[in-house]
Amino acid sequence: MTTVYVADTGVFVRCGGPDNDKFQRLRQALRQTDTSLRIPQRVYEELGGDPVADEYPSGNIPYPDGFEEGWIVVADELNYANPLVSTIMDETRRFIASETDRDEDSIEKADMALVGLAAQLLDTGRADHVVLLTTDKPAGGAAETLLPQHGFTDRIEFRYVSVKYLETITADEFR
Amino acid sequence: MAQSPPQSGQPPIQQLQTVADLLETPALARIYAYILQHGPTTVSEIIDEIDIPQGTAYDYVQNLETAGLVQKTREQRPYEYDAESIALTLSADGETQTITPALIAAVARREEDTDIDVYIERHGLDGLATVLEYAHEYVDGTVNHRITARELDLSPLEAEIILQALEPVATEYADAAA
Repeated sequence: MTTVYVADTGVFVRCGGPDNDKFQRLRQALRQTDTSLRIPQRVYEELGGDPVADEYPSGNIPYPDGFEEGWIVVADELNYANPLVSTIMDETRRFIASETDRDEDSIEKADMALVGLAAQLLDTGRADHVVLLTTDKPAGGAAETLLPQHGFTDRIEFRYVSVKYLETITADEFR
Repeated sequence: MAQSPPQSGQPPIQQLQTVADLLETPALARIYAYILQHGPTTVSEIIDEIDIPQGTAYDYVQNLETAGLVQKTREQRPYEYDAESIALTLSADGETQTITPALIAAVARREEDTDIDVYIERHGLDGLATVLEYAHEYVDGTVNHRITARELDLSPLEAEIILQALEPVATEYADAAA
């Protein structure tokens, strides 16, 4: 059984800066279990893309340490030629547009990428089970609703990353 | 049929003055927010719960009472106080903002949460009021940081930072916004 953990931007913001206990707990839990978090390319771009964010304590995210130590990994590019991946991404856009009462055109590709990556990991056999760690409730809902409709029943789990979740996280979370 | 109590019992422009003080003085805002959520309460309870010097707490409660934003609900010592909810809607140049208890509570957190403080420095109190509405939706699961970023012209990272910072306020005042 291979479980792959996909993480969104909100997980790292929630860590609250390098001196914060939450960051160290997450790091320790991952290192103890030799687990890495996969992040889609678009999440990687969000994390590093805004110098203004450095003004905020929670914007001072030491994610480069995670790459260096191997517990954050940028995931493979999405294969849009895979019909399942592209279908799931289209469905995700519609799902989130409906949940948020927005136009489909206003749904960001990063949201679709999270669910698309989960689909790709399951479809290619890279994962038997995917855990999506995010603060994005519409995207989490899309993953849990849409993937089972394509046969991945009980193989996707959305975990909402609250303050409490990170304050109490241990290695058990990744076993 | 019972009538709803008058909001603070003060005329709008007079109320505006007190509300301006609340927005400028985080410690005053914290006391108001505490009484609103936990009242009726005593000043010594407030001092126990929030880190404010005793003298300041007594002065500020007095100010709020004089302004009509809190009322004594027990006339014997120890006095107890309860707060009236405020909703002050302001319009200027075609833009409208409502100053709500949730906004006061958000401002009250700026001293302990630097993320909120930086956001106010960058986007002003109007910016904070706007993103607070998104924070309510974020808690409900009807918006995410990426949509917020696009609609408010922020980076996704900045949007996620402020939405997480406001999440406790949006959660605590969920009923008030409904």
